Amino acid sequence: MTSTSIDQRQEMTPLDELGPVDYLVVEFPAGKSNFTGEMASELVALVDSGTIRVIDVLILTKDEDGTVEPMELSDVGELGELQAIEAQLAELLAQEDVDHLAAAMEPGSTAGVLIWENLWAAPFASAARRSGGQLIANGRIPIQAIIASIEADEATASEGD
Amino acid sequence: MPLRAARVGRVGVIGHPVAKTAVVAKAVTPGAAPVARTAVVAAAVTPGRGRRRRI
Repeated sequence: MTSTSIDQRQEMTPLDELGPVDYLVVEFPAGKSNFTGEMASELVALVDSGTIRVIDVLILTKDEDGTVEPMELSDVGELGELQAIEAQLAELLAQEDVDHLAAAMEPGSTAGVLIWENLWAAPFASAARRSGGQLIANGRIPIQAIIASIEADEATASEGD
Repeated sequence: MPLRAARVGRVGVIGHPVAKTAVVAKAVTPGAAPVARTAVVAAAVTPGRGRRRRI
């Protein structure tokens, strides 16, 4: 090991080992929310396989008048498989985050907010930082955008026939 | 139900009001079966099988 890499390792903190943290908001129409069924099973599978670590979960309900009612996961009656996840939540989200997240919701809907760490990406992210790299952009490409791009391409190609 | 006390008064992490994820209208092609469209996307993102980039 070179002296440079030793120095870099000594400077590392637990934050250097943290994988990218993402969030999503899944909205359900009024009376149609289901957080403990198939969705819960898939989430637990991702945790059990070490792919992600769930950091926080909130359930938000937006009334027709725009009032937002937050609910802790522990306030859900029967958690089923989510019980183990609930016990390890870090409560990262603050009160002010509730309003920011609910801005995307339709009035009369219920949504689950999930914050998670991408454990699968942590070693690569750490390596990039140790190499002196800095993340300057990231994002997600919607499948719809890929389909639209392909279809536009096909339309252009057929015009040339 | 109220949030836990630990969440109140803290600085948030989201930082700004969140906008609803936009659905690309062009992608909603009438008549295209979801399975067929999934196959098209899979082919496009498979190394060696995708389109040639035009820049």
